Amino acid sequence: MASHYHITLKIRRYDPENRRSWIQNYHLEAGRILRFVDLFRKINNEQDPTFSWNSSCEHGQCGTCSVKINGKPLLACELLVENAVQYFNTPVFNVEPLEVAPVVRDLVFDLTKAYKRIDQVKPYVISPANPPSDQDEYSISPNEMKQYINATRCINCFCCSSACISSHRNFLGPNAMLASMIRVLDPREKEKAQRLKILYGHRGVYRCHSSRACSFVCPKEIDVAHFVALAKAGRFNDPNNE
Amino acid sequence: MNNRLRITATLHCDLLIIGSGGAGLRCAANVLDKRPETRVIALTKNAHPQKSHTSTAQGGLAAVDPGDPEDKTIYHMFDTWKGSDCTADQDVIKKICDSSWEQILWLENRGMHFSRNPKGKLSKRTFGGHTLNFGETSAYRAVFEADRTGKGMMDTCWGESLKRNISFLNQSIGTELLFKAGRCVGCLVFKLKEGEFIRIFSGATVLATGGSGQVFKITTNCRQNTGDGPAVALQAGLPMMDPEAIQFHPTGMIGPGILASETLRSVGGILRNKDMEPFMAHYAPRMKELAPRDLVARAIASEIRKKRGILSSDHKVEHVWIDLRHLPDAVHEQQIPEVSGFFKKFLNLDPKSELCPVHPSSHYQMGGISTNAFGEAQDHLQRRVPGLFAIGECAAASLHGFNRLGTNSLLELITMGKFVGNKVLAYLDHLSKEPTATVDFISFDRFSQYLEARGKNKIGQIRIDMQELMTENVGVFRTEEGLSKTIDALRELKDRADQTALGCKSLRMNQELLQRWELDNLLTVSMAISQAALNRRESRGAHFRDDFPERDDAFNHHTIVIMGSFNKVEIKKREIDMSIFKAKDQHFEKFDFIERAY
Ligand SMILES: Cc1cc2nc3c(=O)[nH]c(=O)nc-3n(C[C@H](O)[C@H](O)[C@H](O)COP(=O)(O)OP(=O)(O)OC[C@H]3O[C@@H](n4cnc5c(N)ncnc54)[C@H](O)[C@@H]3O)c2cc1C
Ligand code: SF4
Ligand code: SF4
Repeated sequence: MASHYHITLKIRRYDPENRRSWIQNYHLEAGRILRFVDLFRKINNEQDPTFSWNSSCEHGQCGTCSVKINGKPLLACELLVENAVQYFNTPVFNVEPLEVAPVVRDLVFDLTKAYKRIDQVKPYVISPANPPSDQDEYSISPNEMKQYINATRCINCFCCSSACISSHRNFLGPNAMLASMIRVLDPREKEKAQRLKILYGHRGVYRCHSSRACSFVCPKEIDVAHFVALAKAGRFNDPNNE
Repeated sequence: MNNRLRITATLHCDLLIIGSGGAGLRCAANVLDKRPETRVIALTKNAHPQKSHTSTAQGGLAAVDPGDPEDKTIYHMFDTWKGSDCTADQDVIKKICDSSWEQILWLENRGMHFSRNPKGKLSKRTFGGHTLNFGETSAYRAVFEADRTGKGMMDTCWGESLKRNISFLNQSIGTELLFKAGRCVGCLVFKLKEGEFIRIFSGATVLATGGSGQVFKITTNCRQNTGDGPAVALQAGLPMMDPEAIQFHPTGMIGPGILASETLRSVGGILRNKDMEPFMAHYAPRMKELAPRDLVARAIASEIRKKRGILSSDHKVEHVWIDLRHLPDAVHEQQIPEVSGFFKKFLNLDPKSELCPVHPSSHYQMGGISTNAFGEAQDHLQRRVPGLFAIGECAAASLHGFNRLGTNSLLELITMGKFVGNKVLAYLDHLSKEPTATVDFISFDRFSQYLEARGKNKIGQIRIDMQELMTENVGVFRTEEGLSKTIDALRELKDRADQTALGCKSLRMNQELLQRWELDNLLTVSMAISQAALNRRESRGAHFRDDFPERDDAFNHHTIVIMGSFNKVEIKKREIDMSIFKAKDQHFEKFDFIERAY
């Protein structure tokens, strides 16, 4: 493999001052293991300090740097130059913001607005059951936790929401469904009725039409579609879970 | 003054939290839990609270389970004291260790998904420096949520705040504290997305802005950790305590700076220089790779200084190798799968057959805004600053002294978060009426200067130069000469920064404008660190002076830094609290100025 690549990033830019959107090409000489966030920083440092993009931890734990590269939603901090060239079979990349919320500038979209969908499913224990005693934690067997623990790994990067055609309309989105299901299954949650109403409500799981796009793009490799399918099959309506 | 700068709104609240990480939101949740009608506003510079640095903490959270037949709180207190190289405050250690389990239960009862043992109870793991019976054997003291403990904690604190009607202002920076007659009455806030300044008047204000890892070139910290909180406090004439105490992790992966965990060395990984020499034998003939963190970090830095490092052409940093190729497949697959996975994901290499590049990575800032044991901010004479509190990594009470034990900082967030919440409620009780006074501020002058400056300098390049300078001279090795040189160079960098024209003059989501402001904060904190390090002519915990390699009793005190201006730094002292030692209870002698040897 090459030690360096000549990369072209065709970045969708947006200027909120005059609401103008355009594609800007940046040509870069890039080492093979630079990540796309490194390329963005390189553009800022060497070519164009005005280009805006989002990130935080830059090691795949926070889900802030989600972008679409050649149409695929992914985390820019996890995409290495040489892998990108190989995967997309080209050194030219279209870079766009996720369309899950309005764009603020360039690649920065309004995550606060995107999160409104998560807020709606109440990502917390609404009504905690009483712990065994004041001095004690709940007992939850590892087997019981196994049912939902994978869903708790979600970092709300919204890649799945971006890939999911249904969530562009009325569906709250795959990640919101995960957040909802976690507390349906969590034995510490007493308030199951309200939970099920959200999960099976008009913006809930029945909006999904099983394309599995969500599982395909999830950077955390969570089988999101599997969880959604379980919910659709009515698994969580089981009175034993209530 | 730039005529586009205007205050577009004035908000009033009871509690303003500047920084919505684990510390800030634990505090908010406590206040709202106890008094739901409290009007709380929480700012985050990140796109959302869940994106705060706390979410990336992996390992665990230390707390002594009262049901544990072997472990005792006094052991935890001792380990923290010893780990701090006898520079933590004992009143703080006691308060935090005493209430640790109660706070674990709070998190658990509110839905954090702690890992469980087969009986369904919380699992525990060991961590460096945590021991039973005053150093005898390792303690199983850290509860955890798989490899994402910080995320579990962040999700819980965020969820609990959200549930109780907090108002979040995301992508909003606190640029300046507002004072009226010596009392903090709120903060000036710049909303990044809208490009608007607003004024928030609050009964109580809590600074919880996290760390300052971006001062250095390689860091485990997130992009937002630019030391804003301490810089804003220094700018308000308030002191920063122990800024020179910065923890470096010996083996950060080149590129993202992520930790290549200690485990790599304990399972037999070998550190090698460019000549493939296993160099640890020169620095720690007996312990070699298993020597303590700081020693290993210095050994790596020494090799690089002696030109025996390797230059990463991609990331433009010199590093050494950690060699894992000789380890059996079973070790790779069962004992180090996560770290191996990180090398694969971020560096595209296979540790089974390839060498892995590592470099010391700046990890944790022990010092911070000076507070008492209740998180109440103090001036340089240790008088309370009414209305102002500070918690989390941006603050120093101090639990960690000159060296933090792994898993103690997440513990600090939840315990201090709760204490400060209680203090805030008591403070609000005695607050007479809502402050509506007009107060002076300087942020417009600063932002005008940023927007109108002329000059060809580039913010990105100045930041890189600063990070290289700090890494070279104020990193794991420090000397009189290097520190003095750095202080001069920082002044030059500050001048260069002031002569930098921005490419984008818009106010809305202007990343360059934000970075310009952050650069000033980074330079301010760098200056505080360098001056304090120069003043401390000894070695203690994570602060290592090549020219004064031993700990010296003359420095048995905290450093207090105040900055009249960038070029006017004053250094003072604060006594270390020895209340456990002085109480003369059982085992008090363990809390004297003991040797930090393992
Ligand atoms: C890789 C890694 C692993 C770690 N693992 C562990 C571990 O296992 N155990 C442990 O105990 N500790 C660990 N730590 C340390 C611990 O994670 C941090 O010390 C802790 O999370 C800091 O929390 P905080 O609430 O103080 O700040 P943060 O979580 O950093 O939050 C700061 C908040 O302030 C906001 N902010 C910053 N500046 C401004 C501003 N100017 N205006 C408004 N808002 C602002 C940010 O946006 C953010 O919301 C680890 C650290 C790292 C880097
Ligand atoms: S499987 Fe369902 S949730 Fe997933 S992308 Fe397809 S429609 Fe969306
Ligand atoms: S389920 Fe996966 S893709 Fe979707 S938000 Fe969570 S982490 Fe991202």
